[in-house]
Amino acid sequence: MPTGATFSVSEEQRALRSAVADLMARHSSEAQVRTLIATDTGLDPKVWHELAVMGLTGLLISEEHGGAGAGPVEMGIAMEEMGRALLVSPFLSTAVLVPSLLAETGDAAECAAVLPQIAAGELIASVAFAEDDSARLPTTIATSAGAIGDAWHVTGYKHFVLDGQSAELFYVLAATDAGPAVFAVDAGATGLDVTPLTTVDLTRKQCRLQFVDTPARLIGRLGTGVEVFSATLDRAALALVSEQAGGARRVVDMAAEYAKTRYQFGRAIGSFQAVKHMCADMLLEAESAVSAARFVAGSFAQQAPSRLADLALAQAYCSDAFVSVTAANIQVHGGIGFTWEHPAHLYLRRARSDAQLLGSPSWHRERYLQQIGA
Amino acid sequence: MTDQELRDDVRNWLAANWNPGVDRAQWAHTVVEAGWAVPSWEPECYGRGLSDAQSRLVAAEFAAVGAPGCGHDRANLFACTLHDVGTDEQKRRLIPPSIRGESKWCLLYSEPGAGSDLAGLRTRAERDGDEWVINGQKVWTSFAKTADYGMLVARTDWDVPKHQGISFFMLPMRQPGVEIRPIHQITGESEFNEVFIEDARVPAENLVGELNAGWSVLQTALGYERRFMGDLARTAKDNKRPQAEKANLLVELAREAGRLDDPYIRQQIARVDALATVNRWNTQRSKAAAERGEAATLMALGKIAMSRILHETARVETEIVGAEAMLAGPDNPTGDAVTFRTMNAYFTSIGGGTDQIQRNIIGERVLGLPKEPEPYRNTPFRELPH
Repeated sequence: MPTGATFSVSEEQRALRSAVADLMARHSSEAQVRTLIATDTGLDPKVWHELAVMGLTGLLISEEHGGAGAGPVEMGIAMEEMGRALLVSPFLSTAVLVPSLLAETGDAAECAAVLPQIAAGELIASVAFAEDDSARLPTTIATSAGAIGDAWHVTGYKHFVLDGQSAELFYVLAATDAGPAVFAVDAGATGLDVTPLTTVDLTRKQCRLQFVDTPARLIGRLGTGVEVFSATLDRAALALVSEQAGGARRVVDMAAEYAKTRYQFGRAIGSFQAVKHMCADMLLEAESAVSAARFVAGSFAQQAPSRLADLALAQAYCSDAFVSVTAANIQVHGGIGFTWEHPAHLYLRRARSDAQLLGSPSWHRERYLQQIGA
Repeated sequence: MTDQELRDDVRNWLAANWNPGVDRAQWAHTVVEAGWAVPSWEPECYGRGLSDAQSRLVAAEFAAVGAPGCGHDRANLFACTLHDVGTDEQKRRLIPPSIRGESKWCLLYSEPGAGSDLAGLRTRAERDGDEWVINGQKVWTSFAKTADYGMLVARTDWDVPKHQGISFFMLPMRQPGVEIRPIHQITGESEFNEVFIEDARVPAENLVGELNAGWSVLQTALGYERRFMGDLARTAKDNKRPQAEKANLLVELAREAGRLDDPYIRQQIARVDALATVNRWNTQRSKAAAERGEAATLMALGKIAMSRILHETARVETEIVGAEAMLAGPDNPTGDAVTFRTMNAYFTSIGGGTDQIQRNIIGERVLGLPKEPEPYRNTPFRELPH
């Protein structure tokens, strides 16, 4: 069972954090974030290349496939720093969801074909599983796939697809006569329509996909689609909580900085208890989110029996904490926090979207209860 | 000396000297003479010159066989304060009976008019020949009735700013001028006392530290108190059992009340579980922290985190229990217990420093936010509004 060893940090991990933080300082300033927000793809190829060179796109990819062969703790470190900097990129889809999914499918050929390209920063890919009304796996999958010989075709739609406009490849959850399965669909495939969604989180691009007899390749075994995607979403949640924690912690710094430098009534507003106490409460939420994210990363790394319950609890907590801290941050900033030009709302938008992306906090709380047998 | 060598030493000594039937007074002498009462103190001062960690090890060995008398260098605030700040005469006279457990002590700090603002205390000490005469009132004193000495902070100079006119005394408690009355708490219990002091006397030899330098003696005593609270928190029984094995009390309460299927209750239970769980994770992270800043931050947050857990848990229990929460007494044990926990949560959110003061500390010392202006910083105490 995870012990204090869960939180100990190696020299290598310290160096990783430092390197990612440095990269973010150079490539994810507020100006750069706003520039990328205005693009369709949310992708800066130069920055993506830097991420690849640093080994980040291949962090979860095995060394055999050109990656770093690292685990949830290292990914958590990278995601914390990216979350702090509100990095706009297809990292969550391409470097977390897709490598996790391919590993879960056990499809050696697909792994060998795709993972090295991701590690090298030469491929953007995403996953497509959600349908209307829910960000989680559909209870009844409306999208279906049928085969004529070896040639599969997918028909249906997918919603809330991350990075749909920059992805060159999608992995799609579809129902078949032999049960749900995973299918690879190329971005340029016939019958595929990619419609960008207008999102609240301007830093995260989402699309709707429409398939009409779209050619697809079966990945992994028929009937395993739900298990594969469930495990994939757990690995994604493991990364997401770290992003939320990093963002929350950064925003506390933003609030404290403002509270120290904004003068009213002859003194810094942070000297007034109302503001000071809001900041103290924000710190409690943010530091708790950091502990939660790091603990569950360690919990998964150590294969602790309680890891799914821990993850569900941590996901609910980190989602709520990131939202409440970013919301309080706007309040601390007063009038200027209410302007588009100030970055505070960008973090709130990211927080609100993250709190739905892999399921709502109440969904995760219910999952936690079921995991503990309540 | 390695830890294992030390453990062996202590075990051998205990095996040779301790058995549950020994006369306790004699045992206390034996322990003190062997240096085990205060192992981390210097040999010239009843100790064995061990480190703090080694001292805790010794205490654990004593506890393992049920032998009393160890740990005074951590739990005995009276002796620890004298060890740091007392004169040689005070140490010789007052420490041995204390570390033999023969003389007991209590704390005389807070007053009805001086809680969060302890430096605003008004209990006065006036010199009369070889003695000081004490008049005033202290509050929230545990163990007052069994104490021989009270660790007293009193005002000795009214014409300087408040912190600069305070002195620290070891006040003999068993005298006519010291009257002790229990405080009836909102929980129904009576763990604390008010101490009314009217013309009580303390010998001049019991002034600890310099005259009017009592505030800094108090900081020493408070530091030992915080350290001891940390010891208690660390060794709390709860910490030792793996979390998965502990029954989830809220879940069981809801199950018994037939409310476990209620989705609202389920969500509330999970919310409260999350508060308790992340607090445990914060504690683990603080223990593993390589930088003191990280550990100090998490410890400072722990107090307000615990307040929130206790208040929120009691609130959810109240939701679960429902109407029975209106009833008390032995016929209504479930409702009664929920009411107790609701009331007792204030022990944490108010006692030992209020949550509001704690948020000030977090904001100022952790986040670096400026303090509020102090218009009375240089005002003589006599002139302060009160």
